[in-house]
Parts: sequence; C-alpha cells; structure tokens
Amino acid sequence: MMDFFNNVFSWLPELLAATPLTLILTLVAGIFGLVFGTLLALARLSNILILSVPANMFMFVMRGTPLLVQLYLIYYGLGQILPGTWVRHSVLWPYLRDGFTYAVIALSMNQAAYNGEVLRGALRSIPKGQIEASMAMGMTNLQILQRVRLPLAFRDCLPVLTSDIIILLKSTALVSTITVLELMGTARMIQRESLQIYEPLIACGLVYFAVVMVLTNIMRPVESRLTRFRKGNA
Amino acid sequence: MTATALSVRNIRKSFGEDEVLKGISFDAHSGDVISIIGSSGSGKSTLLRCINFLERADSGEVAVAGEIIKTHKAKDGQLSPSDKHQLKQMRARLGMVFQNFNLWAHRTVLENIIEGPVQVLKHPKKKAVADAEILMDKVGISQKRNHYPSQLSGGQQQRVAIARALAMQPTVMLFDEPTSALDPELVNEVVQVIRQLATEKRTMIMVTHEMALAREISTHLIFLHNGRIEEQGPPQLIMENPKSDRLRQFIGKF
Amino acid sequence: MVIHTYIEYMGWGAGGWGDEFFFGFLMTLKISLSAYALAVIFGFFATTAKLSKNIFLRFMAVSYTTVVRALPEILMVLIVYFTVAGLAETALVKAGFVDKGFQFNPFWAAVFALAFVAGAFMAEVLRAARLAVPEGQIESATAIGMSSLQIFMRVILPQMMRHAIPGMGNLWLSITKDSAIVAVLGAFSELLYTGYRAAAATKEYVFFYGVTAVLFLLITLISIAVIQWMERHLNRGYA
Repeated sequence: MMDFFNNVFSWLPELLAATPLTLILTLVAGIFGLVFGTLLALARLSNILILSVPANMFMFVMRGTPLLVQLYLIYYGLGQILPGTWVRHSVLWPYLRDGFTYAVIALSMNQAAYNGEVLRGALRSIPKGQIEASMAMGMTNLQILQRVRLPLAFRDCLPVLTSDIIILLKSTALVSTITVLELMGTARMIQRESLQIYEPLIACGLVYFAVVMVLTNIMRPVESRLTRFRKGNA
Repeated sequence: MTATALSVRNIRKSFGEDEVLKGISFDAHSGDVISIIGSSGSGKSTLLRCINFLERADSGEVAVAGEIIKTHKAKDGQLSPSDKHQLKQMRARLGMVFQNFNLWAHRTVLENIIEGPVQVLKHPKKKAVADAEILMDKVGISQKRNHYPSQLSGGQQQRVAIARALAMQPTVMLFDEPTSALDPELVNEVVQVIRQLATEKRTMIMVTHEMALAREISTHLIFLHNGRIEEQGPPQLIMENPKSDRLRQFIGKF
Repeated sequence: MVIHTYIEYMGWGAGGWGDEFFFGFLMTLKISLSAYALAVIFGFFATTAKLSKNIFLRFMAVSYTTVVRALPEILMVLIVYFTVAGLAETALVKAGFVDKGFQFNPFWAAVFALAFVAGAFMAEVLRAARLAVPEGQIESATAIGMSSLQIFMRVILPQMMRHAIPGMGNLWLSITKDSAIVAVLGAFSELLYTGYRAAAATKEYVFFYGVTAVLFLLITLISIAVIQWMERHLNRGYA
C-alpha cells in the first residue's frame, strides 16, 4: 500500500510539468471558442439565411457528434488532404504536422458550438425594452450590439460559460489520443513506459482535481462581480 | 349524548425556543362543526397538522372515534407514531383539506379523487369511480372530471380537494384555512360546499379566517391565542359576548 | 476518387465496411443503453444517499459526485475500466468460479465505467428533480394514509420525472457521445473503433470518419425526437 502511494506521488512532478500545456489548450480554445461562438450566435439569429442556416447546421453537427470523432476527423482527415495542396509548401506546414494545432482547431470549433448555443439563448432573452430604450436614444445597430445586447447576454449566461470552461478543460484530455502530451497524454505515456496501470492515472486524477478546484474557485468571484447588478447578488 | 369522533388531549408543540401550542385539549362529537379562530401565528394550523401527524407534537394524545393513536417519545423529543399501520388507518379517517389545495398535479380531477380509495382503502376501481361521480356532482365539478389541476381555478381546485377528502369517507374532516388562498370572488363557491357539508351533520374541524362562515355553521368556536385556548363556546354566545379583551379586539377587526 | 469506390467501401461482407458499421452502430447503442440504465441506478442510489440523514452516506455520495464530475471522462473510464476488470478477475479467480488467465468481459467493464461517470451527473439531475416536487404534494398523500412506498411510486416519482426529463435527456445524448471514448480501449467494435479500423485499413480518413460522424449524428437526431415526444407526454396536465 505504501509503495502504491509512493509510486503515485513519484509521478506528480512529471505530470505537473505537463499541466501548463493543458491550461494553454484550455485558454486558447476557450478564447477562440468564445469569439467564434459569439459570431455563430449572431449568425444564427440573423435574418440572412445564408448566415443562419450554415451556423445552425454547424452548431448542430458539432454538438451532435463526439468530440473524439471530430478530433480524429480533423487530425487524420486534414493529414490526408493537406499534403496534396499548396499548404504543403507554405510556412504553416511545420505547425500543421503537430497534433497541438489540430487539437486547438477541434477544441475551438467544439467550444464555439456550445458557447454559440448558450449565447443565442441569452441574446434572445434580452427584454425588448432594453433594446427599445437604446433605439430611442438613436444608437446604431452596431452600438446597440456592442453596448447593450452583448454585455447583457454575456452576463446573463456567465455561469454557463464558466462551467463550459471547466468542461473544456476536461475535454482537453481527449487530445492525448492524437499524440499531444498534455496531462492525460503524459499519464498514458508513463503508464506505457512504467508498466504501472493505476499509479499514473491516479496521480493524473489528483492533478486534474486540483486544477479544476482552483479554477472553479478563481471563477466564482469573477462571476459574482460581473453579475453584481442582479438582485441579491450584491 | 353522541359519540366522540375526535379527541385531542394536551397537545404541546415548540419550534425551537418558541412554544406555539401550550397544551390544547378539545373533543369533537359526531356532527360537531368546530371552528378554530385566532390571529396568524396563534398556532391554529399547527394544531390541525398535529392532529394527523403531518407535524409532530412534543406531547399529547389524539384519538379518532375512541381509538388512541399510539405514540412514543422519539430521540428528538417529538411524539412519534409507534404503529405505522395504525397511523395510516387513522389518517385515512381524517380527511384533510389544505390551504393550497395540494391536488396532485400529474393526475386529473377524477384520478385525484379515486387515488385514496383505490390505493389506500383498496376499493375496486369501478366502485371508486362510481363514488367519485357522486362526489363530483356534489361539489359541482363533474364537467371538469378529466381536467388537470392546473387547468382549474383556485375555487374549483379546492372543491376537488374537498371531494378527494370526502372520498375517503372520513370520520372527521379537517379544513386548514380552506378559503384563504382564494381570490375573493372564488371564496363563495367553496363556502357553499362547506356549508352544505355542515347541514349534513358531518364532523368538521376548521381553521379559518372567515368569521361570518364560522359563526354561521359552527356548533362550537375555539379562540386560540398565544398557543392557548383563550375562549370557547357556542359561536353566537362568545362572539356577541366576548369575555376576554383579546377576543374582543380580534372580533373588532372584522 | 469516384463515387462508386465509396459505394464499394460501404458494401456488405468481406469487401466493404457496411456490415462492420452496421454492427458498430448497434454496439454503440447497446453500450449506451446499458450504461444509461446502470447510470440511472447509480444516480438513484447517490441521490438517496445525498438526501439521507446519515452523515456517512451523505459524505460518500458527495465525494462520488464531486470527484467524478471534476475529472475528465476519459481518465475516469480508464481508471474504472482497469479497476473493475482487474478486481472482478481477481475475485472470480480467487472464488474459484473461473480458471487462471480468465479475462473479465470488457463490454461490462466499459459499460460499468461509463455508467459510473454518468451516474454522478445523473445524481445531480435527480436530486434537483426531487427537490422540485412541492412539499404539499407529498403532504396530501401522507394525509390520506399512503405508505412511503406508495407516496414515492405514485406521487414523487411521476412528478420528479417531469423535472428530470430534460436533464436525463441531455445525459442520454452525452452518454451516446461519451461511449466513443471506449474506442480508446480498443477492446470491441463500437462506432468509432470501427471507423478507426476502416480508416486505417484504407487510408480513407475523411470518408470513414465522416461516416462515423454521420452515424453518431443519426443517433442524436433519433434521440432528440424521442426525448421531445416524452417531454410532451410527461407534461400533460401542466399549463
């Protein structure tokens, strides 16, 4: 039993060294996901069919299929197609041979679809009066979007967006399957090399648990600050 | 002398430091209509809920038609029913009508009424439906038999709730402020049903704010104040001649 | 690449992958359904424990849901899969039911692993649904003398299901998608592992992962239709 725990703890330094990559993946995909998600939500709510229909379909497909399938499709699929195109000779090529790039693409797209759905709901539930008040002041549509609709929508769905970040963090573990050595990938590598089945996984679990707890507790005050205008949330 | 339908002995109940019932006793004989009045916070509803053990008293005794509900003192100091089977039988004989109706939201009017007879009394469904039809007629809700509670007005819901309680053929009916959750224009339809039950000589205990109704239908009035029975007697007598200042003040408000 | 090559790819029998995908599709459904049923059981136990008065039970249930929900699904599945399979094998060998060298059926180990994860989320859904049943609904059942079991079966359960259906529907959708994780175990051919094998054998990655995605999407589409029907059915009687 002591041996077991000693083994578990012995893997912690190596796993902690891989944690920044997990956090970077979360951060990058989180930011891309939020930006694209906002655009998707707006596209879906627009009256222009050529925007709303593809946005709708994209969101449905991304939310309706496993992230793991999307990862494989992008990683292996683009790996099959790209070498035959101009990309092969461009400056981007070195990056595109790295699993990290595909991981970011897939995670961002997936996150964008989920964020988009949440934001769409929030944008739609903004009381008409808020927008009418802005129009009455002579604000342009863009101004209303920037100054009223988006800020209200973001604050409205902030709790969901933050919990989606936690889900994203957990999802990054899947990119270990396309050779990215983040936390999970490192744990599985250790597993193969040390021939220990449980210890690396348990150690990995400890690190994830700590990261999730820290992240949750960081986001809570941010959340309550941004929603302080709500009743009972002061 | 008529038989004692319900006998309540020395009920005490505290919520934390706050003693809301300080030893209440009364008897209801068959055919009695007892109204319990008093300002809010006087413990009226708690008393009613202690009778069928929805709320556990700290001490005291309840008997239905002479049969005492068996209890023992639980670890938390509350009076705990000792015989679950007996308690269920006793509850089945005490028809309860709630302030907020508490009709089962997932069942229709008819289903609400036959639920108890079928599930608790184990009546055949056919008989339960036939009985329910008579009751639905009585409270004037027959046309709504297949409606769900959410599709009914408050007054209609309360009439269904009364029919549901009657379907158990209870020895005593308990009414917990049956009209106070209703819009004023809906009070009357429920009052009429209750009035009719009184003329049929049903034994009823009613906690109420409707002073006019209490005065009209009660055979006995109990004025509760600070957890004690401050005054009691025939309604005309004690309402026209209140002995205590508190009852005088209380009546004066109406 | 011409169209008819793709048609050949999806052919039945030795030459094509059509039959493999068909059985992979069924396998994914089978895993998902089994794991879901088990997750409902886990969820009910965890909820009951969470709402119980016993401190020990509450502590166990809270630890279970907190830890499982904080860890990546793939990690939990790997841990539980290896643990369950390993422990079950040791136990069965020790008990003398099976010979040395016996291997626990990986299907049930995978199902158990998925259900263990989903059960923690299920517990949250069920707990919220249970707390959404108004106290008065239970009181009126108590008042006519129903037994605890009757109250649960006839009042609490039907009413809490109405609140639980949206959450349980979402959990079903995510369990069908999470079932793809067991492809990582490489132990049996559900949809993604089938896609993986087909793509690796033919180097047609886009096509076969595309087919895999479409089939998953099909499961989602059918599921959504069923869930919507159930929601309508259960919302009878509510304005």
